[in-house]
Amino acid sequence: MPLLEVRNVSFAFGGVKALDDVSLSVNEGEIVSIIGPNGAGKTTLFNVISGLLRPPHGDVLLDGQTLKGRAPHRIARMGIGRTNQIVRPFGRLSVVDNVAVGALIHERTLRGARVAAREIVEFVGLGALADRNAGTLTLTQRKRLEVARALALKPRLLLLDEVMAGLTPSEMDTMAEFILALPKRGIAAIAGIEHVMRLVMRISHRIVVLDYGQKIAEGTPAEIRSDPRVIEAYLGAPLEVL
Amino acid sequence: MKGAGWIVAAIALVALTLLPLHMNGYWLNLLYQTVLFVGLAYGFNIISGYAGYFSFGQIAFFGIGAYTTGALALGTHWDWTICALIGGVLCGVLALPIGAIMLRLRGPFFAIGMLGLAQTARVLASSSSALGGGSGMYLPPGSSLLPVYYWTLVVAGGAFAVTWWIDHSAFGLRLQAIREDEAIAATLGVATTRAKVTAFIISAIIPGLLGGGYAWFLTYIEPSSAFSARVDLQSIVMAILGGIGTLWGPLVGAVLMTQVSEALWANFPQAYLMIFGGLLVVLLIVLPRGIVPAVTARWQKRNTPSAGGGMAMGGVKPEPELP
Amino acid sequence: MDTVAQLIVNGLLLGGVLALSALGFNIIFGVMRVVNLAHGDLVVIAALTCAVAYAHWHINPLLLLPFTALGGFVIGACIQRFLLRRLPAEVSSGEASSLVLTFGLSYFLAGAGLWIFGGQIRSVPYLTGAIQLGPISVPQARLLAFVAAIVIAGLLGVFLRYTSIGRAIRATSMNLDGALACGVDADLVRTVSFGLGSAVAAAAGTLLSYVYTFNPQDGIPFTISAFAVIAIGGLGSYTGALLGALVLGFAQAFAAYYAGSTLADAAPYVLFVLVMLVLPQGILGRRAT
Repeated sequence: MPLLEVRNVSFAFGGVKALDDVSLSVNEGEIVSIIGPNGAGKTTLFNVISGLLRPPHGDVLLDGQTLKGRAPHRIARMGIGRTNQIVRPFGRLSVVDNVAVGALIHERTLRGARVAAREIVEFVGLGALADRNAGTLTLTQRKRLEVARALALKPRLLLLDEVMAGLTPSEMDTMAEFILALPKRGIAAIAGIEHVMRLVMRISHRIVVLDYGQKIAEGTPAEIRSDPRVIEAYLGAPLEVL
Repeated sequence: MKGAGWIVAAIALVALTLLPLHMNGYWLNLLYQTVLFVGLAYGFNIISGYAGYFSFGQIAFFGIGAYTTGALALGTHWDWTICALIGGVLCGVLALPIGAIMLRLRGPFFAIGMLGLAQTARVLASSSSALGGGSGMYLPPGSSLLPVYYWTLVVAGGAFAVTWWIDHSAFGLRLQAIREDEAIAATLGVATTRAKVTAFIISAIIPGLLGGGYAWFLTYIEPSSAFSARVDLQSIVMAILGGIGTLWGPLVGAVLMTQVSEALWANFPQAYLMIFGGLLVVLLIVLPRGIVPAVTARWQKRNTPSAGGGMAMGGVKPEPELP
Repeated sequence: MDTVAQLIVNGLLLGGVLALSALGFNIIFGVMRVVNLAHGDLVVIAALTCAVAYAHWHINPLLLLPFTALGGFVIGACIQRFLLRRLPAEVSSGEASSLVLTFGLSYFLAGAGLWIFGGQIRSVPYLTGAIQLGPISVPQARLLAFVAAIVIAGLLGVFLRYTSIGRAIRATSMNLDGALACGVDADLVRTVSFGLGSAVAAAAGTLLSYVYTFNPQDGIPFTISAFAVIAIGGLGSYTGALLGALVLGFAQAFAAYYAGSTLADAAPYVLFVLVMLVLPQGILGRRAT
């Protein structure tokens, strides 16, 4: 049984079909990348999975259990953590407290949550900034905070939404190594939305391609790289492929 | 708080308990007003400052508390403290459905909704002949201010204690996460509705209990004083002046502003509303976060030049120095 | 059946002026996402000014319209230029700050009104008769206010659609970044919008000065009704505001007849909460399915 199953999900904003009968699955131990031109519906897909949007059609299952109709906080507790494309830290709270919020689903006391949070803050490399207000962090630091917050949930499935955007090439490599190391921390699977192709090709087990809300291709990096439909969808857009 | 802080607090508490026994009417009155507004400011602070749902209508619960106490006292022969307690409990009970509905509204919608609630409560009280309509209810005179003062002191102290607990608890962190970004807080596992409604209930019980005492302070309850716009505005200004979302802010703000307010009311009663409104406007521009965060920020800048602004909850360091 | 017809007429007449007030409120909300809690107080101050002018010099309130509107514009522009602009721009506190600022302004204006005009209730006894159309009685005062409101709303619509500053205002309320990218001066647009919204509020107050009685502390109900109209009709929609005003006008007229006038005052609030729960985006608001 796949860890995550998205079955025939559709979602429309007014007249615009953001997702059109999309199905995909993520298995334990996999890193799946979701790629596609801008506006293809990728973040909408994540919003549906994490429960922020309710699709009129289709279903999402985690470990075989349906997520349909469940509130976002329940879905988080069931084991899905996510980062956001546009980073949204809790600006007036400290870095530790930002992460402690998620830790509260496993720790009963604030003190316990903060202890757990500090360890994660160290792990993502923000140890020196642990007690600073999250609002004072740079973009790169905020990106790490996004990941740290999601990790505090001890999720089975981690959704990373354009976690590379805005990073320098060497920062991207560091982040890629970091992502590859995550399964050792108990993360069963990772689904990532990404535009940086060389990294997508490097770290993914499988790639799913969306365009205009539809899934147009799915396969290994090698298969996707040579898929004519994918190339056509990206025609005109700059490709960073090694 | 460090050891010295607790000692100071204990002394203050003893003073607040014993001094009034020797005070004359004017000073006791002023002390009562101060403690009343400390309590109201803390009540407002929980739903508006910690949870981030600015409510311009907590006065609705203040009035409900006042009217319940009055009606019960006149209808039964129970001691007024029992009546006031029931008033507070009633506010808590009402706050559950009201909160469940109103808190579905965001930001300005919630604020206006609460404003409307207070308006409606006043209108209902004015048109209800059972509650004395526009002319109100007269309570039997004869109780001195002292018991009312002690009641208010206990409630205000309780409000502070609850705030202290919130500031140091998981619940408080959840509320602040909701304030900062509710949708994200939900994706991080925070049961937002439950947390918000709980905060709202607490923020309703406190003014409800205080209103009960206020009824006996006035010994006369009528719509525009029970649902007084002036009291509502004052408690909001005080909480904001002191520092909204902080532990000490409401105390600082209420203590300072009550003295200013009394002076203003005594000397410029006609321009009172105008001055207070204008004060709020100026405050927001000059000291947008309030006194306590501004002072704490400057304190930290001086002590830790390299770190720069490492604050924990609500802008106050985990171990605040008592001013 | 006659009663219902009369109530419909009452509701329509009331709705017209409510619409004007709401349009003023909506301009400010649309452009700056600022809820102007002082809106109702501007309406009241304009009304009181007309009442005093009539009492002393017997000036027809309609003649005062350009002056009150201008005064409203100046006050609104100053509020934006000198006060709101100074607020910190942080995302989550920014919204709360402007709310509290206009809340403070509301009390400032109510207090100023109290100080300048005193606490007594005033009105303008102008056009007190009524025209009889068969069984329906149409109060002249309300009819005139209704017509004037429609005219002003029409002029406003023309202004927003056909002048360059009007288009800049609409562009900014639809998409701030897009408007900025097109070279729109956001500061100027905000100042003009707040001024315009306040001018319209003052105009509404002028028209209502001879319909209702006023006292300086009556501002809040007008703010709530303007907000309710916008919320019911749909945020960001001009026609929605007109629709919402009609709905509210009818609701108040019927409530006043069947439940008494004090309870009718609660109508905007009750309707607002009901609609917000059922249709959070209002009747004509933009939806996400």
